[in-house]
Amino acid sequence: MLSDRTTALLSSIATYLLLGFVSFLSVFPFLWMAIGATNTSIDVINGKPTFGSALMTNITGFFTQVDVPLVFWNTAKIAIVSTILTLAISSLAGYGFEMFRSRVRERIYQFMLLTLFIPFAALMIPLFIIMGRAGLINTHIAVMLPVIASAFMIFYFRQSTKAFPSELRDAAKVDGLKEWQIFLFIYVPVMRSTYAAAFIIVFMLSWNNYLWPLIVLQSNDTKTITLVISSLASAYYPDYGVVLVGTVIATLPTLLVFFLMQKQFVQGMLGSVK
Amino acid sequence: MSDVKLHDIRKAFGSLEVIKGVDLDIKSGEFVVFVGPSGCGKSTLLRMIAGLDEITSGTLEIGGTRMNDVDPSKRGIAMVFQSYALYPHMTVRENMGFALRFAGLPKAEVEKQVAEAARILELGPLLDRKPKQLSGGQRQRVAIGRAIVRHPNVFLFDEPLSNLDAELRVHMRIEIARLHKTLATTMIYVTHDQVEAMTLADKIVVLRGGLVEQVGSPLELYDDPANLFVAGFIGSPKMNFFKGVVSAVNNGTVSVELPDLGGASVETRLQATDIAVGTAVTVGVRPEHFEDTGSAALNLTIDMLEHLGGETFAYARHGSGDLVIIETKHGRDLKTGDTIQAKFDPARALLFDVGGKRIR
Repeated sequence: MLSDRTTALLSSIATYLLLGFVSFLSVFPFLWMAIGATNTSIDVINGKPTFGSALMTNITGFFTQVDVPLVFWNTAKIAIVSTILTLAISSLAGYGFEMFRSRVRERIYQFMLLTLFIPFAALMIPLFIIMGRAGLINTHIAVMLPVIASAFMIFYFRQSTKAFPSELRDAAKVDGLKEWQIFLFIYVPVMRSTYAAAFIIVFMLSWNNYLWPLIVLQSNDTKTITLVISSLASAYYPDYGVVLVGTVIATLPTLLVFFLMQKQFVQGMLGSVK
Repeated sequence: MSDVKLHDIRKAFGSLEVIKGVDLDIKSGEFVVFVGPSGCGKSTLLRMIAGLDEITSGTLEIGGTRMNDVDPSKRGIAMVFQSYALYPHMTVRENMGFALRFAGLPKAEVEKQVAEAARILELGPLLDRKPKQLSGGQRQRVAIGRAIVRHPNVFLFDEPLSNLDAELRVHMRIEIARLHKTLATTMIYVTHDQVEAMTLADKIVVLRGGLVEQVGSPLELYDDPANLFVAGFIGSPKMNFFKGVVSAVNNGTVSVELPDLGGASVETRLQATDIAVGTAVTVGVRPEHFEDTGSAALNLTIDMLEHLGGETFAYARHGSGDLVIIETKHGRDLKTGDTIQAKFDPARALLFDVGGKRIR
């Protein structure tokens, strides 16, 4: 029979082993990407596990093969505009669903949540036809439109709005604010952590979006970073060192956004109002 | 200052009526407290006066003007909420001046008003702090300050002291009373705390099930309750009630037998002349009305004692099992299990009919 202390020690070791394994699984792809970016294509194929000396060659190769400023501009424009629009539309909808409850609105909300169960692959063809008829194929608007009214984000904002004190809204009404002013001057600042968390999630999804831009963006001058890296990787003789340098560069903006807003992200996930 | 008049005010959520026709006349400068058990409609009534809940039917007048459909900000009211409802992203100064800034007052004027309210409430050193940097009492003072700067005709308080600890509650209660004396503005205050109601109010409105049970000064309600509910609700510990039967009526003097208390009887004078022998009644005696002397007496066994220092509450039982609460000055000499004879002056006993209505 093991003593309580030994059981606690074994349990602690098992927990840390599991945590270590999961951490390794999370960190390994990033480490492999960073190592690969410093190695030649042959070394990457051979699975060389250590840093090499081909970083500058790979960077030069990437900048030679890709119009980096244009691709970054395309990607950033789509990511920032669609994130701002998603946040504006979803938070307004979430606020509305929570503050103005009625049976009909509840049914609409439930119906909207059902759309979360439809896989994007099932929507691609109808969406493509709609965009084609609207004359939007090969435009950035076509990339943004399907994502800006996100059922998940409306759900997220509605859940967060439940923690928004109704007395603040009452106090604002007594102070003379109209509903839109309460939303703009009270709700938005009070819920800023919720917005920060939503910003990170939507920005990352938008920045890394691949499938839908692949379908609607057809000319090189409209393409985003994920499409460009994908086309580099699918060349007849892909240079994996260059591809991984591109991947590292493409990761930097999302990393930057995350680290800048990390504190608000955690607060937002826990709830803005305490 | 404004008077507030409610005429047949009703509120319904679908088919559920929660305020069932309230008539009330609040005079200018009066401090009126709404009390009642949870769900009686006191907060709903206050919110209807504020304009935060719609009035289903009836008329609300503030300062002689019908206000049913007027925006809350234009009713000349200011409201203090239970949770303070301070804007967390603004400083104390910004919170207090927000409504004025929003109404378009010049910055200098807003600053002046805020400074004046801060002086009254001693908030000067806190003006640049955010609400989360304040204690509960300070937050409540800011909430009151925010109301003061609006110079309202009517102050509305929705259980403003419920979130404070006992000591701070006493302190803030005194501050609110002082504020009323200084500003002499009409104040309507919702609470479930009897001490707040009794100490602050010029007039108490007791509500139950969306109806007004009685309106009167604190001592009127205490000494002369209109019915069993008010008698039981006002006063702590609550009034003792005993079932009785009228056994004799003689020239305005009524004898009531208390069968559950070993046939003890109470003899009291009434104005009512239509009461008949055999009528079932309820006899009410307040715990503090039990004394060392008195012609009515109950034999009781002490179940539990609550020593409060100055006085003691004895929870005692009669042979039938009925619990009787007695307030006594001699509690230190008593112990659980003691048998006592509790006496009271029958003239202090109140009689109620089977419907709970007071028989006077």
